[in-house]
Amino acid sequence: MAFDLGTPVNTALLLYIFYAIQRIIFPSSSVPKTVPNEFKHGYTWMPKSHPPTLLFQTYTPKTLAPFNGEDGKRILLAIKGVVYDVTAGRNFYGPSGMYANFAGRDASRGMAKQSFEESMLTPIDQPLDKLEDLTPEEIENMKGWMEHFSSKYIICGRLVENDAV
Amino acid sequence: MALSDYLVTDDLTIILALVAAGLFLLHNLYKPQALVHPILLGRQSDVARVRNPTESAVYRNYSTGMLGRFPLRPSKDQHVLLDLVKPDADAPRSLWSTKITNPELRERVANIGAGLMRLAGLAPQESNVLLLLNDGIEFLLADLALASSSIPSFTLSSLSLLSTVLENHPPSAIITQADFLTQLLEHVYDINESNNHTIIVVGDIDSLKLPRLNNIKIVPWDDLEREGASVEKAALPVPDPNEVFTVSFFETPSGGYEGVQLTHQNLTAGVAATRALMPPSNAISPLDTIISAYSLSTPYGRTIAYTALFEGTGFATVDSTKLIKRDDAPSLTGLKDLRTTANYRTPSPTILFVRPDHLDSLSTSILHEAKRSSWLLHNLAWRHKLANILEGFITKQSLWDRLVFDSARVKVMGQGAGTVRAVIVSGGPLEAQALTPARIALSVPVINAHSHPLVAGPVFASHALDLQTFPTSNAAPSPSAADAYAFTYLAPVGPPSVNVEAKLTGLDDAAVEAGADPIGALHVRGPSVGRPLSAEEEPEEEELRGWRATGERAKVAPNGTFKVAIGSKV
Repeated sequence: MAFDLGTPVNTALLLYIFYAIQRIIFPSSSVPKTVPNEFKHGYTWMPKSHPPTLLFQTYTPKTLAPFNGEDGKRILLAIKGVVYDVTAGRNFYGPSGMYANFAGRDASRGMAKQSFEESMLTPIDQPLDKLEDLTPEEIENMKGWMEHFSSKYIICGRLVENDAV
Repeated sequence: MALSDYLVTDDLTIILALVAAGLFLLHNLYKPQALVHPILLGRQSDVARVRNPTESAVYRNYSTGMLGRFPLRPSKDQHVLLDLVKPDADAPRSLWSTKITNPELRERVANIGAGLMRLAGLAPQESNVLLLLNDGIEFLLADLALASSSIPSFTLSSLSLLSTVLENHPPSAIITQADFLTQLLEHVYDINESNNHTIIVVGDIDSLKLPRLNNIKIVPWDDLEREGASVEKAALPVPDPNEVFTVSFFETPSGGYEGVQLTHQNLTAGVAATRALMPPSNAISPLDTIISAYSLSTPYGRTIAYTALFEGTGFATVDSTKLIKRDDAPSLTGLKDLRTTANYRTPSPTILFVRPDHLDSLSTSILHEAKRSSWLLHNLAWRHKLANILEGFITKQSLWDRLVFDSARVKVMGQGAGTVRAVIVSGGPLEAQALTPARIALSVPVINAHSHPLVAGPVFASHALDLQTFPTSNAAPSPSAADAYAFTYLAPVGPPSVNVEAKLTGLDDAAVEAGADPIGALHVRGPSVGRPLSAEEEPEEEELRGWRATGERAKVAPNGTFKVAIGSKV
């Protein structure tokens, strides 16, 4: 057998062997200066941002109206003064959804009377619907919807009159 | 020369190629696997979806979840304090210097209870008893007896509160030690009460020269047990778990004092939370011995003691927990303090509930001894251990432990050095830079927890297998220097404990909406949080009831761990 360490291939392999032995016996133990934002890039990592949390805010009919899902905005709707974030239900309440009328509006009367007509909504610049002429069954129905919304979506605010802010 | 002349290969090439391939596989594939997958460490708290203005969202432990129920007790049978002493577990174990089984303990508790009623004239739910004892079996017996007889007990975290408590909350009886009796009698005379007092004394009183006793009745502890053992004991009514069984007084940082009312349920919930500190694969078992640096007069210390009782482990406390010290005795810290447990008959400790000064002292001593033995080997061992920690792995059985660290540990901790298997640190600020050297020196899970005088059990506790090492970040601008120091240099204390939820108030909404970490005053709620004496009327709504202000400021990181600037500490 001929042993010739001078050939380039052998030298390269020998250098690699020395390098590998050095890395095994003297492992790198430097704490990285910047903390990665992905767990794939390191054991010590920190997510880039906090989990999303909504701020509980007070809305009026005028400030609620823009949140109807157009241009990628959130979708909010109000029932009996409680504002729900229904962005997760974009299929129903988004611009092309079946119940798009409710987006950004006070949907109390519509929920009580089980109707999605425009006539159920009060115009934005008018005072809030007092719901005085609803029958007890309709009030029960509306309360049932409020429970459904509380469990399925997020309560993120309350609705007050336009001049109460 | 042509290319083929460069690529000359011969037999040596084959050998070298095989060796290189082997080393490549070894180097790249033989990496240690992290003890806990890092994806779990990126989401340690469950966060509520909505927050009120100037308040943060409510944070809970991820395993409990926002919709989960808080564990109220370690298992379904523990409703009151005496249930924590399982009647059917009859293996003997050492509590301080007493080897005792659970049925014997229950019997002694019943005797003490009967003796207290007869000799000290105590009545359930009407009398209260002040416990002025150092940690020991008598404290536990008195506590269990009083709790089972529905007689609230008072405890003090320090003797400076004695006069205040005697004036404002006069107890019907006081249980104390013989060496404190003369000083206690002076205090009682100073208060100048004309009521009758009963003082039960543990220890030998014959050798003391007692002043003239007018309306004070002194009862020796042994008489109590004897009397109780000699009578027929009727079955006592089981107390309600929501009944207050103790009030623990502590000093607030503003100089005043505060008392926290603890119910049976607070303690059983605290025991459930303390058990959850250890991972399920390594849970506390009757083979363990727990050493605690927290006095039984504090809620957290009591919870640790009852966890030890419940699990059937041996238990001892260090000397710095003593309430009543001799005047000339120095207050011990660090290693000297830990070594005082050798006086007791417990086997070598396996789980340590200690303070940061103990941990620092242990780790610096061990590393110093390791350096002394062989500088080269120590350096190599340090590099390898640190490389493992950066991958998330630590073990006590590696080659480097056998070569370097085991002998250092034996020199520092004595023959039982190999038995320590977990260390839980709280009770003071722990710097992040001190945590990794401690992990390397001890090579066991070091859990950074946070305790508070209002809470039985830990408030926050880091994941047991979390070995993340964050570099010291740049100081974010913050209003106070204490905050800036704490949030830059202290180690994170982890997510809330399994049955505590936390929120921060006084937030800067604009900064938080822009993505900054929430910083504010810490409020906690949960079944292990006691009720302070100064608490006002509870608000009506479910959402607002039960929140207790801790008086400390905290900051949340995006992975759900908290950093707490220490305020009113035990």
